[in-house]
Amino acid sequence: MPTTTELYAVDRNVYAYRCPECGALYYPAPMICRKCRNRRDPSTTVYSDFEKVPLGGPCKLLTWTRIYALPEGIDRPSLAFGVVEFTNGIRAVGVLMTEKPKTGALLEARPGLVRELVRRDCYGLQLFDPSP
Amino acid sequence: MRAVGIAGIGHTKFGRLDYDLVDIMAWSSLEALKDAGIEGGIDQVFVANMGAGAINNQTGIASALVSRIFLEPAMAETIENGPASGASAVKCGYLAIAAGMADTVLVTGGERMRETTGWKATDFVATLTHPDAEYPYGLTLPAYGGMFTRAYMERHGLTEKHLAMIAVKAHQNAEKNPFAHIEETASIDGIYDGPHREVVNPVMADPLRLYDLCPVSDGAASVVLTAMDTAGRFKKRPIRIAGIGQATDTHCVFNRDDLLDLKAVRLAAERAYAMAGIGPKEISFAELHDAFLILEVAESEEVGFFPKGGAKKAIERGETEIGGRIPINTSGGLKAKGHPVGATGVSQIHEIVKQLRGEAEEGRRVKNPRYGLAVNFGGFGNNVVATILAKE
Repeated sequence: MPTTTELYAVDRNVYAYRCPECGALYYPAPMICRKCRNRRDPSTTVYSDFEKVPLGGPCKLLTWTRIYALPEGIDRPSLAFGVVEFTNGIRAVGVLMTEKPKTGALLEARPGLVRELVRRDCYGLQLFDPSP
Repeated sequence: MRAVGIAGIGHTKFGRLDYDLVDIMAWSSLEALKDAGIEGGIDQVFVANMGAGAINNQTGIASALVSRIFLEPAMAETIENGPASGASAVKCGYLAIAAGMADTVLVTGGERMRETTGWKATDFVATLTHPDAEYPYGLTLPAYGGMFTRAYMERHGLTEKHLAMIAVKAHQNAEKNPFAHIEETASIDGIYDGPHREVVNPVMADPLRLYDLCPVSDGAASVVLTAMDTAGRFKKRPIRIAGIGQATDTHCVFNRDDLLDLKAVRLAAERAYAMAGIGPKEISFAELHDAFLILEVAESEEVGFFPKGGAKKAIERGETEIGGRIPINTSGGLKAKGHPVGATGVSQIHEIVKQLRGEAEEGRRVKNPRYGLAVNFGGFGNNVVATILAKE
Protein backbone atom coordinates (compact mmCIF):
# COMPACT_ATOMS: atom_id res chain seq x y z
CA MET A 1 0.00 0.00 0.00
CA PRO A 2 1.41 3.44 -0.85
CA THR A 3 2.30 5.68 2.08
CA THR A 4 0.61 9.03 2.62
CA THR A 5 3.75 10.69 1.32
CA GLU A 6 3.58 8.70 -1.92
CA LEU A 7 -0.16 9.23 -2.32
CA TYR A 8 -0.37 12.94 -1.77
CA ALA A 9 3.01 14.40 -2.62
CA VAL A 10 2.65 15.80 -6.11
CA ASP A 11 5.64 18.04 -6.46
CA ARG A 12 8.24 18.37 -3.74
CA ASN A 13 10.02 21.36 -5.22
CA VAL A 14 9.64 24.99 -4.24
CA TYR A 15 9.42 27.45 -7.11
CA ALA A 16 9.96 31.10 -7.81
CA TYR A 17 7.97 32.52 -10.74
CA ARG A 18 9.39 34.47 -13.68
CA CYS A 19 7.28 36.87 -15.76
CA PRO A 20 7.54 35.74 -19.41
CA GLU A 21 7.27 39.36 -20.63
CA CYS A 22 9.88 41.23 -18.60
CA GLY A 23 11.75 38.48 -16.71
CA ALA A 24 10.93 39.79 -13.21
CA LEU A 25 11.22 37.05 -10.59
CA TYR A 26 8.75 36.52 -7.73
CA TYR A 27 8.21 34.33 -4.69
CA PRO A 28 5.51 33.45 -3.92
CA ALA A 29 3.58 33.70 -7.19
CA PRO A 30 1.59 36.92 -7.78
CA MET A 31 -1.29 37.16 -10.26
CA ILE A 32 0.19 40.13 -12.08
CA CYS A 33 3.72 41.36 -12.74
CA ARG A 34 4.41 44.41 -10.57
CA LYS A 35 6.85 45.77 -13.16
CA CYS A 36 5.11 45.32 -16.54
CA ARG A 37 1.53 44.50 -15.38
CA ASN A 38 1.53 41.26 -17.38
CA ARG A 39 -1.25 38.97 -16.08
CA ARG A 40 -0.55 35.43 -14.85
CA ASP A 41 -3.03 32.67 -15.59
CA PRO A 42 -2.20 29.31 -13.91
CA SER A 43 -4.77 27.61 -16.18
CA THR A 44 -3.20 29.20 -19.33
CA THR A 45 -6.77 29.68 -20.62
CA VAL A 46 -6.73 33.43 -21.11
CA TYR A 47 -3.12 34.44 -20.45
CA SER A 48 0.12 32.48 -20.15
CA ASP A 49 1.45 31.17 -16.84
CA PHE A 50 4.67 32.45 -15.36
CA GLU A 51 7.78 30.29 -15.75
CA LYS A 52 8.54 28.10 -12.74
CA VAL A 53 12.11 28.44 -11.48
CA PRO A 54 13.19 25.90 -8.83
CA LEU A 55 14.20 27.69 -5.65
CA GLY A 56 17.19 26.40 -3.71
CA GLY A 57 20.94 26.47 -3.43
CA PRO A 58 23.26 29.00 -1.75
CA CYS A 59 21.58 31.65 0.38
CA LYS A 60 22.31 34.03 3.23
CA LEU A 61 20.56 33.87 6.61
CA LEU A 62 18.98 37.26 7.41
CA THR A 63 17.34 36.38 10.74
CA TRP A 64 16.12 33.30 12.58
CA THR A 65 14.25 31.94 15.59
CA ARG A 66 13.53 28.67 17.33
CA ILE A 67 9.97 28.16 18.55
CA TYR A 68 8.79 25.86 21.30
CA ALA A 69 4.99 26.25 20.96
CA LEU A 70 4.25 24.43 17.73
CA PRO A 71 1.11 24.19 15.64
CA GLU A 72 -0.50 20.96 14.44
CA GLY A 73 1.49 18.47 12.40
CA ILE A 74 4.98 18.95 13.77
CA ASP A 75 6.19 16.03 15.84
CA ARG A 76 9.22 17.48 17.61
CA PRO A 77 9.88 19.65 20.67
CA SER A 78 11.05 22.72 18.80
CA LEU A 79 11.45 24.06 15.29
CA ALA A 80 13.86 26.66 13.94
CA PHE A 81 13.01 29.02 11.09
CA GLY A 82 15.10 31.41 9.11
CA VAL A 83 14.56 34.10 6.50
CA VAL A 84 17.11 33.72 3.71
CA GLU A 85 18.09 35.67 0.60
CA PHE A 86 19.26 33.92 -2.56
CA THR A 87 21.86 35.29 -4.95
CA ASN A 88 19.09 36.35 -7.37
CA GLY A 89 17.58 38.56 -4.66
CA ILE A 90 14.61 36.31 -3.94
CA ARG A 91 13.81 35.85 -0.26
CA ALA A 92 12.04 32.98 1.43
CA VAL A 93 11.46 31.38 4.78
CA GLY A 94 12.79 27.90 5.52
CA VAL A 95 13.24 25.34 8.29
CA LEU A 96 16.73 25.53 9.77
CA MET A 97 18.46 22.16 9.86
CA THR A 98 21.65 23.58 11.33
CA GLU A 99 22.37 23.31 15.07
CA LYS A 100 23.90 26.73 15.67
CA PRO A 101 22.41 29.26 13.25
CA LYS A 102 24.05 32.67 12.95
CA THR A 103 22.69 35.75 11.22
CA GLY A 104 24.68 36.41 8.04
CA ALA A 105 25.77 32.78 7.66
CA LEU A 106 25.85 31.22 4.21
CA LEU A 107 23.51 28.24 3.97
CA GLU A 108 22.23 25.86 1.35
CA ALA A 109 18.47 25.53 0.74
CA ARG A 110 17.00 22.23 -0.42
CA PRO A 111 13.36 21.15 -0.75
CA GLY A 112 12.20 18.62 1.83
CA LEU A 113 9.31 17.48 4.02
CA VAL A 114 8.64 20.26 6.54
CA ARG A 115 5.25 19.33 8.03
CA GLU A 116 2.79 16.45 8.00
CA LEU A 117 -0.88 17.44 8.10
CA VAL A 118 -3.82 15.04 7.81
CA ARG A 119 -3.71 13.68 4.24
CA ARG A 120 -1.28 16.39 3.26
CA ASP A 121 2.48 16.39 3.37
CA CYS A 122 3.96 19.85 3.20
CA TYR A 123 7.17 20.35 1.28
CA GLY A 124 9.26 23.44 1.64
CA LEU A 125 12.81 24.70 1.94
CA GLN A 126 15.17 23.17 4.46
CA LEU A 127 18.26 25.17 5.28
CA PHE A 128 21.54 23.32 5.80
CA ASP A 129 25.13 24.26 6.46
CA PRO A 130 26.80 24.34 3.05
CA SER A 131 28.36 21.12 1.84
CA PRO A 132 32.13 21.11 2.41
CA MET B 1 -18.31 65.19 6.76
CA ARG B 2 -19.96 65.15 10.18
CA ALA B 3 -17.76 65.04 13.26
CA VAL B 4 -18.00 61.75 15.15
CA GLY B 5 -17.44 61.02 18.82
CA ILE B 6 -17.60 58.19 21.34
CA ALA B 7 -20.47 58.51 23.79
CA GLY B 8 -20.30 55.20 25.63
CA ILE B 9 -17.81 52.45 26.43
CA GLY B 10 -18.14 48.90 27.72
CA HIS B 11 -15.74 46.05 28.47
CA THR B 12 -15.75 42.54 29.89
CA LYS B 13 -12.97 41.06 31.92
CA PHE B 14 -10.34 39.53 29.61
CA GLY B 15 -9.14 36.01 30.38
CA ARG B 16 -11.00 32.73 30.30
CA LEU B 17 -14.74 33.32 30.04
CA ASP B 18 -16.95 30.24 30.02
CA TYR B 19 -19.85 31.90 28.26
CA ASP B 20 -21.16 31.82 24.73
CA LEU B 21 -19.28 34.28 22.47
CA VAL B 22 -22.43 36.28 21.69
CA ASP B 23 -23.27 36.52 25.40
CA ILE B 24 -19.77 37.90 26.03
CA MET B 25 -20.24 40.51 23.30
CA ALA B 26 -23.77 41.28 24.56
CA TRP B 27 -22.37 42.05 28.02
CA SER B 28 -19.87 44.66 26.81
CA SER B 29 -22.47 46.10 24.40
CA LEU B 30 -25.00 46.61 27.20
CA GLU B 31 -22.29 48.19 29.36
CA ALA B 32 -21.52 50.65 26.56
CA LEU B 33 -25.21 51.53 26.11
CA LYS B 34 -25.55 52.00 29.87
CA ASP B 35 -22.45 54.21 29.93
CA ALA B 36 -23.92 56.32 27.12
CA GLY B 37 -27.21 56.56 28.99
CA ILE B 38 -29.32 55.03 26.22
CA GLU B 39 -31.27 51.78 25.89
CA GLY B 40 -31.70 51.68 22.13
CA GLY B 41 -31.81 53.98 19.16
CA ILE B 42 -28.86 52.24 17.53
CA ASP B 43 -28.95 52.59 13.74
CA GLN B 44 -26.04 50.30 12.91
CA VAL B 45 -24.00 47.59 14.65
CA PHE B 46 -20.51 46.58 13.58
CA VAL B 47 -19.03 43.46 15.15
CA ALA B 48 -15.28 42.85 15.03
CA ASN B 49 -14.29 39.19 15.17
CA MET B 50 -11.75 36.89 13.60
CA GLY B 51 -12.43 33.36 14.75
CA ALA B 52 -16.12 32.70 15.44
CA GLY B 53 -16.48 30.49 12.38
CA ALA B 54 -13.18 28.67 12.83
CA ILE B 55 -13.05 28.32 16.62
CA ASN B 56 -16.61 28.66 17.92
CA ASN B 57 -18.48 27.09 14.99
CA GLN B 58 -20.69 30.17 14.78
CA THR B 59 -21.22 32.57 11.89
CA GLY B 60 -23.43 35.61 11.33
CA ILE B 61 -22.59 36.87 14.82
CA ALA B 62 -23.52 40.51 14.15
CA SER B 63 -27.12 39.42 13.51
CA ALA B 64 -26.98 37.15 16.57
CA LEU B 65 -25.75 40.01 18.78
CA VAL B 66 -28.47 42.38 17.59
CA SER B 67 -31.13 39.80 18.41
CA ARG B 68 -29.57 38.88 21.78
CA ILE B 69 -29.94 42.45 23.06
CA PHE B 70 -33.08 43.43 21.08
CA LEU B 71 -31.56 46.07 18.82
CA GLU B 72 -33.58 44.98 15.77
CA PRO B 73 -34.06 46.43 13.15
CA ALA B 74 -30.56 48.02 13.32
CA MET B 75 -28.29 47.39 10.35
CA ALA B 76 -25.55 44.91 11.26
CA GLU B 77 -22.32 43.55 9.81
CA THR B 78 -19.32 41.58 11.00
CA ILE B 79 -15.89 42.98 10.16
CA GLU B 80 -12.99 40.52 9.85
CA ASN B 81 -9.60 42.13 9.39
CA GLY B 82 -7.39 39.78 11.39
CA PRO B 83 -6.09 41.25 14.64
CA ALA B 84 -6.92 44.74 13.29
CA SER B 85 -10.64 43.89 13.10
CA GLY B 86 -11.50 46.06 16.10
CA ALA B 87 -10.12 49.35 14.81
CA SER B 88 -11.43 48.53 11.33
CA ALA B 89 -14.93 48.16 12.79
CA VAL B 90 -14.58 51.52 14.55
CA LYS B 91 -13.47 53.01 11.23
CA CYS B 92 -16.59 51.56 9.57
CA GLY B 93 -18.74 53.07 12.31
CA TYR B 94 -17.05 56.42 11.79
CA LEU B 95 -17.67 56.25 8.05
CA ALA B 96 -21.35 55.30 8.48
CA ILE B 97 -21.97 58.35 10.66
CA ALA B 98 -19.76 60.75 8.70
CA ALA B 99 -21.52 59.73 5.50
CA GLY B 100 -24.93 60.35 7.05
CA MET B 101 -26.14 56.74 6.89
CA ALA B 102 -26.43 56.51 10.68
CA ASP B 103 -26.51 58.79 13.72
CA THR B 104 -25.62 56.26 16.38
CA VAL B 105 -23.50 53.13 15.92
CA LEU B 106 -22.59 50.34 18.31
CA VAL B 107 -19.18 48.76 17.67
CA THR B 108 -18.39 45.57 19.57
CA GLY B 109 -15.28 43.45 19.23
CA GLY B 110 -15.28 39.99 20.74
CA GLU B 111 -13.43 36.71 20.68
CA ARG B 112 -13.57 33.42 22.52
CA MET B 113 -10.24 31.74 21.84
CA ARG B 114 -9.87 29.63 24.96
CA GLU B 115 -12.67 27.34 23.83
CA THR B 116 -9.96 25.47 21.94
CA THR B 117 -6.49 24.18 22.82
CA GLY B 118 -3.47 26.48 22.86
CA TRP B 119 -1.88 24.89 19.80
CA LYS B 120 -5.13 25.06 17.85
CA ALA B 121 -5.46 28.76 18.75
CA THR B 122 -1.86 29.29 17.60
CA ASP B 123 -2.59 27.41 14.38
CA PHE B 124 -5.76 29.44 13.81
CA VAL B 125 -3.89 32.75 14.12
CA ALA B 126 -1.18 31.34 11.81
CA THR B 127 -3.78 31.12 9.02
CA LEU B 128 -3.03 34.84 8.60
CA THR B 129 0.26 33.84 6.97
CA HIS B 130 0.73 33.03 3.27
CA PRO B 131 -0.94 29.67 2.46
CA ASP B 132 1.93 28.49 0.23
CA ALA B 133 5.07 30.30 1.31
CA GLU B 134 4.61 30.51 5.10
CA TYR B 135 1.78 28.49 6.66
CA PRO B 136 2.84 25.01 5.42
CA TYR B 137 6.11 25.36 7.35
CA GLY B 138 4.32 25.63 10.67
CA LEU B 139 5.36 29.26 10.79
CA THR B 140 3.45 31.09 13.53
CA LEU B 141 3.06 34.76 14.42
CA PRO B 142 5.32 34.30 17.49
CA ALA B 143 7.96 32.87 15.10
CA TYR B 144 7.89 36.12 13.14
CA GLY B 145 7.97 37.95 16.47
CA GLY B 146 11.15 36.06 17.36
CA MET B 147 12.82 36.71 14.00
CA PHE B 148 11.88 40.40 14.11
CA THR B 149 13.19 40.69 17.67
CA ARG B 150 16.54 39.10 16.77
CA ALA B 151 16.99 41.39 13.77
CA TYR B 152 16.08 44.45 15.88
CA MET B 153 18.42 43.47 18.72
CA GLU B 154 21.31 42.89 16.33
CA ARG B 155 20.80 46.25 14.60
CA HIS B 156 19.92 48.51 17.52
CA GLY B 157 21.48 46.87 20.58
CA LEU B 158 18.21 46.22 22.39
CA THR B 159 18.64 43.55 25.06
CA GLU B 160 16.45 40.99 26.77
CA LYS B 161 16.59 43.22 29.84
CA HIS B 162 14.89 46.05 27.94
CA LEU B 163 12.05 43.69 27.05
CA ALA B 164 11.82 42.53 30.65
CA MET B 165 11.50 46.19 31.73
CA ILE B 166 8.55 46.63 29.35
CA ALA B 167 6.95 43.43 30.67
CA VAL B 168 7.23 44.70 34.25
CA LYS B 169 5.61 48.01 33.22
CA ALA B 170 2.78 46.17 31.43
CA HIS B 171 2.08 44.03 34.48
CA GLN B 172 2.13 47.08 36.79
CA ASN B 173 -0.49 48.81 34.63
CA ALA B 174 -2.61 45.68 34.18
CA GLU B 175 -2.62 45.07 37.90
CA LYS B 176 -4.65 48.27 38.30
CA ASN B 177 -6.93 47.54 35.34
CA PRO B 178 -10.02 45.58 36.47
CA PHE B 179 -10.49 44.16 32.95
CA ALA B 180 -6.97 42.75 32.55
CA HIS B 181 -6.30 39.07 31.93
CA ILE B 182 -3.01 38.99 33.86
CA GLU B 183 -3.33 40.04 37.50
CA GLU B 184 0.13 39.09 38.74
CA THR B 185 3.03 41.43 39.29
CA ALA B 186 6.31 40.79 37.54
CA SER B 187 9.76 41.92 38.62
CA ILE B 188 13.12 42.15 36.91
CA ASP B 189 14.48 39.86 39.64
CA GLY B 190 11.85 37.23 38.86
CA ILE B 191 11.81 37.21 35.07
CA TYR B 192 15.31 38.37 34.12
CA ASP B 193 17.89 38.20 36.91
CA GLY B 194 16.51 35.45 39.10
CA PRO B 195 17.98 31.94 39.54
CA HIS B 196 14.81 30.30 38.23
CA ARG B 197 14.54 32.40 35.07
CA GLU B 198 14.51 29.42 32.70
CA VAL B 199 11.55 27.93 34.58
CA VAL B 200 9.62 31.15 35.28
CA ASN B 201 10.32 32.80 31.94
CA PRO B 202 11.33 30.15 29.39
CA VAL B 203 12.26 30.85 25.78
CA MET B 204 9.20 30.54 23.51
CA ALA B 205 10.34 31.99 20.18
CA ASP B 206 14.04 32.64 20.61
CA PRO B 207 14.95 35.32 21.74
CA LEU B 208 11.37 36.00 22.91
CA ARG B 209 10.47 34.56 26.29
CA LEU B 210 7.12 33.79 27.90
CA TYR B 211 6.84 37.26 29.46
CA ASP B 212 7.50 38.88 26.07
CA LEU B 213 4.30 37.42 24.55
CA CYS B 214 0.61 38.18 25.06
CA PRO B 215 -1.71 35.52 26.47
CA VAL B 216 -4.56 33.85 24.58
CA SER B 217 -7.72 35.51 25.89
CA ASP B 218 -11.48 35.62 25.70
CA GLY B 219 -13.29 38.92 26.01
CA ALA B 220 -15.20 41.75 24.42
CA ALA B 221 -15.14 45.54 24.29
CA SER B 222 -17.70 48.00 22.92
CA VAL B 223 -18.06 51.66 22.04
CA VAL B 224 -21.10 53.74 21.10
CA LEU B 225 -20.30 56.18 18.30
CA THR B 226 -22.44 59.19 17.60
CA ALA B 227 -22.57 62.26 15.43
CA MET B 228 -21.21 65.15 17.49
CA ASP B 229 -24.21 67.22 16.39
CA THR B 230 -26.48 64.85 18.38
CA ALA B 231 -24.16 64.70 21.39
CA GLY B 232 -26.59 66.45 23.68
CA ARG B 233 -28.71 63.33 24.24
CA PHE B 234 -25.91 61.44 25.99
CA LYS B 235 -24.89 61.38 29.64
CA LYS B 236 -21.30 62.42 28.96
CA ARG B 237 -19.76 64.73 26.41
CA PRO B 238 -18.51 62.39 23.62
CA ILE B 239 -14.78 62.04 23.01
CA ARG B 240 -14.14 63.15 19.43
CA ILE B 241 -12.51 60.88 16.84
CA ALA B 242 -9.90 63.30 15.51
CA GLY B 243 -8.11 61.06 13.03
CA ILE B 244 -8.13 57.60 11.51
CA GLY B 245 -5.42 56.23 9.22
CA GLN B 246 -4.91 52.81 7.74
CA ALA B 247 -2.26 51.21 5.52
CA THR B 248 -1.27 47.80 4.21
CA ASP B 249 2.05 46.10 3.47
CA THR B 250 3.27 42.87 1.84
CA HIS B 251 1.54 39.66 2.91
CA CYS B 252 4.89 37.85 3.27
CA VAL B 253 7.11 39.66 5.77
CA PHE B 254 10.26 38.42 3.98
CA ASN B 255 9.29 40.39 0.87
CA ARG B 256 9.80 43.76 2.60
CA ASP B 257 12.93 45.60 1.52
CA ASP B 258 13.90 46.00 5.16
CA LEU B 259 12.59 43.29 7.52
CA LEU B 260 12.45 45.85 10.34
CA ASP B 261 10.49 48.46 8.40
CA LEU B 262 6.88 48.52 9.67
CA LYS B 263 5.78 50.75 6.83
CA ALA B 264 2.06 50.21 7.37
CA VAL B 265 2.36 51.41 10.99
CA ARG B 266 4.21 54.53 9.88
CA LEU B 267 1.78 55.34 7.06
CA ALA B 268 -1.33 54.63 9.15
CA ALA B 269 -0.04 56.99 11.86
CA GLU B 270 0.93 59.67 9.34
CA ARG B 271 -2.55 59.52 7.80
CA ALA B 272 -4.20 59.75 11.23
CA TYR B 273 -1.97 62.70 12.21
CA ALA B 274 -2.79 64.47 8.94
CA MET B 275 -6.52 64.01 9.48
CA ALA B 276 -6.27 65.24 13.08
CA GLY B 277 -4.04 68.15 12.10
CA ILE B 278 -1.45 67.30 14.74
CA GLY B 279 1.89 65.47 15.01
CA PRO B 280 3.36 62.90 17.39
CA LYS B 281 4.46 65.61 19.85
CA GLU B 282 0.81 66.44 20.60
CA ILE B 283 -0.03 62.85 21.62
CA SER B 284 -0.36 62.53 25.41
CA PHE B 285 -0.32 58.70 25.62
CA ALA B 286 -0.77 55.67 23.37
CA GLU B 287 -2.04 52.12 23.20
CA LEU B 288 0.28 50.18 20.87
CA HIS B 289 -0.34 46.64 19.64
CA ASP B 290 2.22 44.67 21.67
CA ALA B 291 1.30 41.07 20.90
CA PHE B 292 5.09 40.65 21.24
CA LEU B 293 6.90 43.26 23.30
CA ILE B 294 9.25 44.11 20.46
CA LEU B 295 6.21 45.56 18.67
CA GLU B 296 5.72 48.19 21.37
CA VAL B 297 9.35 49.19 20.80
CA ALA B 298 9.21 49.25 16.99
CA GLU B 299 5.75 50.85 16.77
CA SER B 300 6.74 53.61 19.19
CA GLU B 301 9.45 54.56 16.70
CA GLU B 302 7.31 54.20 13.57
CA VAL B 303 4.60 56.52 14.96
CA GLY B 304 7.24 59.18 15.60
CA PHE B 305 7.65 59.14 19.39
CA PHE B 306 11.34 58.22 19.10
CA PRO B 307 13.87 58.01 16.25
CA LYS B 308 14.66 54.56 14.80
CA GLY B 309 16.63 52.67 17.45
CA GLY B 310 15.84 55.39 20.00
CA ALA B 311 13.17 53.57 22.01
CA LYS B 312 15.87 51.76 23.99
CA LYS B 313 17.00 54.98 25.71
CA ALA B 314 13.38 55.98 26.36
CA ILE B 315 12.76 52.64 28.09
CA GLU B 316 15.86 53.11 30.23
CA ARG B 317 14.68 56.61 31.23
CA GLY B 318 11.14 55.42 32.04
CA GLU B 319 9.61 57.73 29.44
CA THR B 320 6.89 55.23 28.51
CA GLU B 321 5.73 54.59 32.07
CA ILE B 322 2.75 56.28 33.74
CA GLY B 323 4.06 59.75 34.56
CA GLY B 324 6.69 59.52 31.85
CA ARG B 325 6.94 61.75 28.79
CA ILE B 326 4.71 59.50 26.66
CA PRO B 327 3.01 56.70 28.62
CA ILE B 328 2.48 53.61 26.45
CA ASN B 329 -0.01 50.82 27.10
CA THR B 330 -1.51 52.25 30.23
CA SER B 331 -4.09 49.43 30.13
CA GLY B 332 -1.37 46.77 30.40
CA GLY B 333 -1.40 46.35 26.62
CA LEU B 334 -2.05 43.10 24.83
CA LYS B 335 0.86 41.71 26.83
CA ALA B 336 -0.91 41.84 30.18
CA LYS B 337 -4.46 43.08 29.59
CA GLY B 338 -4.87 40.22 27.11
CA HIS B 339 -5.52 39.76 23.40
CA PRO B 340 -8.91 38.42 22.31
CA VAL B 341 -8.00 39.27 18.71
CA GLY B 342 -11.30 40.70 17.45
CA ALA B 343 -11.81 42.68 20.67
CA THR B 344 -8.34 44.19 20.92
CA GLY B 345 -8.75 47.21 18.63
CA VAL B 346 -12.01 48.21 20.34
CA SER B 347 -10.45 47.64 23.75
CA GLN B 348 -7.61 50.02 22.85
CA ILE B 349 -10.17 52.72 21.93
CA HIS B 350 -12.02 51.98 25.19
CA GLU B 351 -8.79 52.68 27.11
CA ILE B 352 -8.15 55.93 25.24
CA VAL B 353 -11.68 57.17 26.04
CA LYS B 354 -11.33 56.15 29.67
CA GLN B 355 -8.06 58.05 30.02
CA LEU B 356 -9.32 61.15 28.19
CA ARG B 357 -12.36 61.24 30.48
CA GLY B 358 -10.09 60.97 33.52
CA GLU B 359 -11.80 57.72 34.55
CA ALA B 360 -8.77 55.41 34.55
CA GLU B 361 -7.94 53.84 37.90
CA GLU B 362 -5.63 55.57 40.36
CA GLY B 363 -2.01 54.63 39.72
CA ARG B 364 -2.41 54.19 35.99
CA ARG B 365 -4.14 57.48 35.19
CA VAL B 366 -2.45 59.83 32.72
CA LYS B 367 -2.28 63.45 33.89
CA ASN B 368 -4.28 65.95 31.80
CA PRO B 369 -4.28 64.07 28.49
CA ARG B 370 -5.42 65.89 25.35
CA TYR B 371 -4.87 63.40 22.50
CA GLY B 372 -4.57 59.60 22.66
CA LEU B 373 -3.31 57.33 19.88
CA ALA B 374 -4.22 53.66 19.32
CA VAL B 375 -2.39 51.39 16.87
CA ASN B 376 -4.13 48.13 15.94
CA PHE B 377 -1.75 45.83 14.04
CA GLY B 378 -3.06 43.11 11.72
CA GLY B 379 -1.10 40.07 10.51
CA PHE B 380 2.56 40.84 11.05
CA GLY B 381 2.07 44.47 10.08
CA ASN B 382 0.34 43.88 6.75
CA ASN B 383 -2.80 45.83 7.75
CA VAL B 384 -2.62 48.53 10.40
CA VAL B 385 -5.20 51.02 11.68
CA ALA B 386 -4.23 54.08 13.74
CA THR B 387 -6.89 56.08 15.59
CA ILE B 388 -6.51 59.41 17.37
CA LEU B 389 -9.09 60.58 19.91
CA ALA B 390 -9.28 64.11 21.29
CA LYS B 391 -10.68 65.61 24.47
CA GLU B 392 -12.50 68.86 23.81
